[in-house]
Amino acid sequence: MKDLVKFIAQALVDNPDQVQVKEIEGEQTSVIELKVAKEDLGKVIGKQGRTARAIRTILSAASTKIRKRSVLEILE
Amino acid sequence: MDYLEFEGKSTEEAIENACSHFQVSPEQLEIEILSVGSPGLFGLGGRKAKIRAALREEAQTSMLSQAQEILEQILLKMDESGKVSGRQEDDRIILNIETEDAGLLIGKQGQTLEALQYLLTKILAQKSRHKVRVTIDVESYRARHEEALVHLALKNGDKVKRSGKPVTLNPMNPHDRRIVHLTLQGDKELKTMSRGEGLYKKVIIYPAKKKEGQEETPNLK
Repeated sequence: MKDLVKFIAQALVDNPDQVQVKEIEGEQTSVIELKVAKEDLGKVIGKQGRTARAIRTILSAASTKIRKRSVLEILE
Repeated sequence: MDYLEFEGKSTEEAIENACSHFQVSPEQLEIEILSVGSPGLFGLGGRKAKIRAALREEAQTSMLSQAQEILEQILLKMDESGKVSGRQEDDRIILNIETEDAGLLIGKQGQTLEALQYLLTKILAQKSRHKVRVTIDVESYRARHEEALVHLALKNGDKVKRSGKPVTLNPMNPHDRRIVHLTLQGDKELKTMSRGEGLYKKVIIYPAKKKEGQEETPNLK
């Protein structure tokens, strides 16, 4: 899951080397924390959060497959 | 092909600007010189050189393979063993995913497919610095979905005609709303309108106000 978010985030931003992804695994739910350069924050969130929502949608589809839940947190 | 105009002190500089905009080498651009600049005297009275440039066909094809590759990568990381085939139609890239797990990739009301398509468009825009249209399809979902929407529009259109009362449809994305509007556009007895805020709006179908003269229009159905 971590790789998925990292791949998408890196492809979207201007500073791919500053993308950090941390996965905090729980029994059922894992939390994925995404950190990007300040000026790239808008790129991963998108207009009215559309990009963030799209990443979350894909993330939950991928999680369904392994019968888990994943939550994406974008850190400022 | 989308032509864009670029300026520079000389044609060389204008071409350079075009290259850095598209992020390709000059050979990959279709260039047309609109005006040759003149340097002027003491920096006064100089004219800028102007060119028009667009990506060449081959560069667009490489865009296609790039799109294909990125989508394959994403699917791989989703643990989805799908095969991606692609083709180019005018300025649109059409990707088709072959998979056993189509339902998962389509998602509730096509949500996941929409998200994939949206993100891929964004990623390609980021890479090429210009907008690329991408359509992603799974098991001809797009065609089936469009058919379902047309059916839905016609069915509710009939309902409105019979009852004379407006009907509100569920919130839809712009693409889907467009299909509904277009389907009922030709129907003189009905009017359609989108209502709501943001990306997902509801379409309302309501009977067109009967005016004098319009009553005499023969009912075609």
